[in-house]
Amino acid sequence: MVTGHQLGYVQADRDLLKTMEPAGKLYYMLLLADVVVLLWGIYAWMTQIYTGLGVSGLTHPVMWAIYITNFVFWVGIAHSGTLISAILFLFRVRWRASVYRTAEAVTVFALMTAGLFPIVHLGRPWYFYWLLPYKQMGGLWPNFRSPLIWDVFAVFTYMIVSMVFFFTGLVPDMAVARDQAKGWRRLLYGFLAQGWQGTDRQWRHYTSAYLFLAALATPLVISVHSVVSWDFAMSMVPGWHSTIFAPYFVAGAIHSGLAMVITLLIPLRRVFRLDAYITQWHLENLAKLVILTGLIVGYSYVTEYFIAWYSDNTFEWESFRYRALGHYAWAFWIMIIFNSLIPLLFFIKRLRTSTPWLFGISILINIGMWFERFVIIVTSLAREYDPYSWGLYTPRWVDLSITAGSFAWFFLWFLLFAKFLPVISIVEVKEELPAPLKAGETG
Amino acid sequence: MEVNRRDFLKVLSIGGAAALTGCSAQAPEKLIPYLIPVEEIIPGKATWYATVCRECPAGCGMLVRTREGRAVKVEGNPDHPVNRGRLCARGQASLQGLYNPDRIRQPLLKDASGTLKPVSWDEAEAWLISRLAELLQQGKGVGITWMTPHLTGSPDRLVNQWLKILGSTRRLRYEPFAYEPIRTANRLTFGREVIPTYDLESSTVILAFGADFLETWISPVMYAREFAAMRAYKDGRMGRFIFIGPRLSLTAANADRWISVRPGTEGVLALGLVGVIVAEGLVKGLSQDEVGRIRALVDCYDFKRVSEATGVEPEEVKRLARTFAEGDPGLALGGGTAVSGPHATTTLVAINLLNYVAGNVGRTVRFGPVSTLSQLSTYREMLDLIQAMEKGQVSALFFSEVNPVFTMPKAAGFERALGKVPLVVSCSSFMDETVAKAHLVFPTHTPLESWGDVEPWEGMHGLMQPAMQPLFETKALGDLLLSLAKRLGGPPAQAFKEESFYEYLRARWRELHQRLQSDVDFETFWVEALRRGGVFEAIPAQPVRLNVQALSQVLEEPELAGQADAFVLLPYPSLVHFDGRGADRPWLQELPDPMTQLTWDNWLEVHPEDAKRHGIEEGDLLTVKSPDGEIELPAHLYAGVRPGVVAIPIGQGHTAFGRHAEGRGANPLALLPKEPEPRSGGLPWLSPQVTLARTGKKHLLASVSGSDRQFDRGIAQVIPLAELQAYAGKEPHDEHKVLQMYPPHEHPNHRWGMAIDLNACIGCGACVTACYAENNLAVVGKEEVARGREMSWIRIERYVEGPPERPETRFVPMLCQHCDNAPCEPVCPVYATVHNPEGLNIQVYNRCVGTRYCSNNCPYKVRRFNWFTYKWPEPLNLQLNPDVTVREMGVMEKCTFCVQRITEGKERAKGEGRPVRDGDIVPACAQACPTRAIVFGDLKDPESEVSRLRQNPRRYRVFEHLNTQPAITYLKRIRPSEEA
Repeated sequence: MVTGHQLGYVQADRDLLKTMEPAGKLYYMLLLADVVVLLWGIYAWMTQIYTGLGVSGLTHPVMWAIYITNFVFWVGIAHSGTLISAILFLFRVRWRASVYRTAEAVTVFALMTAGLFPIVHLGRPWYFYWLLPYKQMGGLWPNFRSPLIWDVFAVFTYMIVSMVFFFTGLVPDMAVARDQAKGWRRLLYGFLAQGWQGTDRQWRHYTSAYLFLAALATPLVISVHSVVSWDFAMSMVPGWHSTIFAPYFVAGAIHSGLAMVITLLIPLRRVFRLDAYITQWHLENLAKLVILTGLIVGYSYVTEYFIAWYSDNTFEWESFRYRALGHYAWAFWIMIIFNSLIPLLFFIKRLRTSTPWLFGISILINIGMWFERFVIIVTSLAREYDPYSWGLYTPRWVDLSITAGSFAWFFLWFLLFAKFLPVISIVEVKEELPAPLKAGETG
Repeated sequence: MEVNRRDFLKVLSIGGAAALTGCSAQAPEKLIPYLIPVEEIIPGKATWYATVCRECPAGCGMLVRTREGRAVKVEGNPDHPVNRGRLCARGQASLQGLYNPDRIRQPLLKDASGTLKPVSWDEAEAWLISRLAELLQQGKGVGITWMTPHLTGSPDRLVNQWLKILGSTRRLRYEPFAYEPIRTANRLTFGREVIPTYDLESSTVILAFGADFLETWISPVMYAREFAAMRAYKDGRMGRFIFIGPRLSLTAANADRWISVRPGTEGVLALGLVGVIVAEGLVKGLSQDEVGRIRALVDCYDFKRVSEATGVEPEEVKRLARTFAEGDPGLALGGGTAVSGPHATTTLVAINLLNYVAGNVGRTVRFGPVSTLSQLSTYREMLDLIQAMEKGQVSALFFSEVNPVFTMPKAAGFERALGKVPLVVSCSSFMDETVAKAHLVFPTHTPLESWGDVEPWEGMHGLMQPAMQPLFETKALGDLLLSLAKRLGGPPAQAFKEESFYEYLRARWRELHQRLQSDVDFETFWVEALRRGGVFEAIPAQPVRLNVQALSQVLEEPELAGQADAFVLLPYPSLVHFDGRGADRPWLQELPDPMTQLTWDNWLEVHPEDAKRHGIEEGDLLTVKSPDGEIELPAHLYAGVRPGVVAIPIGQGHTAFGRHAEGRGANPLALLPKEPEPRSGGLPWLSPQVTLARTGKKHLLASVSGSDRQFDRGIAQVIPLAELQAYAGKEPHDEHKVLQMYPPHEHPNHRWGMAIDLNACIGCGACVTACYAENNLAVVGKEEVARGREMSWIRIERYVEGPPERPETRFVPMLCQHCDNAPCEPVCPVYATVHNPEGLNIQVYNRCVGTRYCSNNCPYKVRRFNWFTYKWPEPLNLQLNPDVTVREMGVMEKCTFCVQRITEGKERAKGEGRPVRDGDIVPACAQACPTRAIVFGDLKDPESEVSRLRQNPRRYRVFEHLNTQPAITYLKRIRPSEEA
């Protein structure tokens, strides 16, 4: 439901396409700042490729740290899109219409960011293609027993399906944009519209294809992050080797994905004055979902500790004791408080309907979820089986710059998206509107 | 260079013969260019040369492996009686002396401005000759002085002869650790001023008073071997070992008990033990009369007084005496810096007396063969030299490979006195603190490029031969002396018939040949000596009698006078740097000190309680002040020093000596007093008064240890002796059976495995350095070590158990376990690490993309990642083993069980048409181990030693419960019974 019966099709077209009008000063300043950070991150990466991974803070025994943290974080972010667009679509949740385009864009861009990190973290990134499933070096396939290869499959599959889903959903909107655009934009939108005329036949095909893709994407929400979690769970590292990891990671991913969507929607709504389309009602529903995922995540934290204690396994218990009380305890408490305690504030209606609270808490959840991955990866590796080989990880400028650069990369795409594509699905918004009675606008 | 075909083949035939016999008869006189590839030279085939290690005065025999004319690895010579095929870390690192990037490459002459400028050999020698001729003309030949380190045999004789011809007898053999108190005490008690043979192997109880015989004391590799044999469990028994001294050294850590006594009171304790032995009638083999006289001597040292003086419980004194007297035979060892206080001689006399009453003299303490270290100059003689230099009596000072500016107390004033000598000539390979003060610097060959002979013990004639062509424009010391004599003309020129030192050496060996083996012709004798690494005579022990009269004057109450709030300073020779001569070897800098686990640095060890009292924390930079000097050092909190004592390792704090040595820590010699110990003339190392003050600065100490404790994780396990005795042939328990998801690996021919005996491992780190040398491991430097990025494939984990006042140190060599169910293998996405048909877990560098997942999944954490492409400063790169890949950045690496040696062993067996025999293949770590703690072999062969050790009741595997099925079996360390 979109507010106000006063809205009509033409108004919706006009409002929603307005986001694609030439940008203002603020936009260009943001873009410039973003590109500067991105270039700095690229410089840091080039330094790392040229000199070796030694310029990062990675060390023995913490061989994975914030690169893999970033990878898992961005894959997690990518979950919101499919959840909102596919699962909520299948469940016919009506409030999804206004937010799903942004969510899907977040998915695609987050995957594009996440996909960089397995390459960034390689010792010899110029051989990254050896991880791809093809016959190499005269007959050698990659090792299909390695969870990292499963990762390649999972992430690639998810990326392809998400992109197809994203572009399919765009087709009718692109036709609207094409009809109103001139010059090269017309060519671009024309191409993306794929000759859409809005005929019944096209609509019939379109809706069934969309439904089919939604059905295809839904299991991926579960599978992708399950597979990512198996990077850890399949190893024998205390603190990683746990059967709870798959559901725990999926819940965490959705948690962070929802938070990221809220974080992006609120400024978007403000800047483009889309209050009529992204209403408090939409945001409140997202916040309610966040309560659910936050509870699941919190439950997982507790379960992990219970199992570590119940197993009476020295190695496991030490790993968890260290998490809460050791060198990285601050990160652990950020994770606990930001991810499972603060979201509980959304039980209070006044807070979940207040935009500043929503925005603030969503950012805290983003931070908390980043630290969740950091805590799982770094603290577990820092305290493994052999006490003599315990060690600490401290990030250095290269890791931090590449991380910052990855955020810049993500936001660069998002900024371009906001200017070049309709951030809200025009077609689906119109579906929610009362049909026009005669021609043109209704009273 | 002209080499005709005939010469070429002649040289080659010798090389070919050498390849057959294992060692070369003669080093090629000229470098052979591979202009024409000739069949006899097989690229890729190693040639071995036997020589003697000169890294410390112990004189271990060494085999040098050369490839394509370059020395690439050194190993102990199995035929040499000192070390029997074993070698310590310092010996391994002799290669980094040869290839050191900071070697002096041409002669240097000090110009008017006081800087050393390169000159040609001809110029340098001509300049010196003119100066010498001048001196001789002025009649100042008598003031010419020669200072060498411990030299024996031909080089020693040549130096003396040369000096004599110029009309001087001023000759010093200077070693910072000259064992003066031992020699003097033996003169006083037994009438012989020598260092005797100590027979550790035959002893059943060893009592060491400060003697760090597993580290640096006299002949550590030999003693380590004997010690391990003595400690081995056989027939339900093992030898006992108790260490007495103020610091828990590596040697002390290997003892059943470390008894911490008040510094300087070791002698009182020894006399107390004598007292108890005499009083309780435990004396062995002495007449009643003699016992009576000894009783009179030690009467005043009743165990209660001794207990008060030393801080040892009275009952403990008694128990200790009984334990020692039970020894059949026992052995009391005394020495090292810890007992070299102002009463060192008294302490050593007391220890002699203890050995005497327990009946050990003549059994485990034998006067023959005696150590040639007995001929070293004393510290007092060095002080006399300084005085002579100050007075202008020294007209010229020649020295070679000694560094008194660094190794003598600053207060002794050697550096200042050196300024008064008109002509200072250095013949050394490295620009150290003393060489920098010379007027003329002749760069000499390193030992691996030189001919020579070394006689560490009477009758033990080790022969040195060059393993390769000299790397730079250097000369052998002997050749230089002969050349100078020739140039001087007149009588000096006539005195020497020989053209080269090689001939001079052979001339002396002709004498040996006449004396020892005149039944064969000389060439046979010579080639055999070269092949075996020397000629070894058996020297019988001579009986000695106790001189009781002399003793009564010596035995007085030893005491260290000190202020109440001051610390007693104990400088101790570093296991890796010795007196400082190892500090320019990157392998040794990177090898962690076994007790502190620190690398690349120098530090002050302070007891945690003292630290707490003075508000000192780990890494605080302190000002250490004594009446004689002041230095700045970072604090390391170490429960292994007695409260009230602070310890500093000797060997760092170089201001010259190359890029790897310079600017690391400070030299504790700056704190020591000048005055010698009155009786022996030795340097009193134990300095009574130092005070500590914080500077407020912090210093990064690069430790390799993540934890001192193992938290009951069963990595380093022990078994009580009683429990082991109870097994007596019965099997302890069966390894638990586990369900396997995958079928087991097939090993059709071999399954390589290893057994590591923790009861033998002393934690010395020789295996670590051997691995660096064999496998081209990169040295990463202090900052990277501090980050945890050292590259060692094998490391000695050190864990401490028990209460702080009675620490139990455990060492575990940790290396790739070559698991049958290797956790690293399934996680690698590109098959860069796989199981091979011989049970090796192999790492394919070319395939590795560097996900590092394998390292995360390795419970043993033995995989090392190439964070950078590491560089070897030239010419250190020439040492790289051509059989082992040099890894580039971004790939993982780890122990290969020396796969190149496995391949070589199999090839050799195949060439000889036989199966591989047990012992054919020995990885570098196992080869080096002074105590034979590491045994490698084929687990498929039920007769192999490793297969038998896998059945030992002491066996266990680390993290057995993880079902990784490691190929390495550890044997538990045996914990002796509780008392004493």
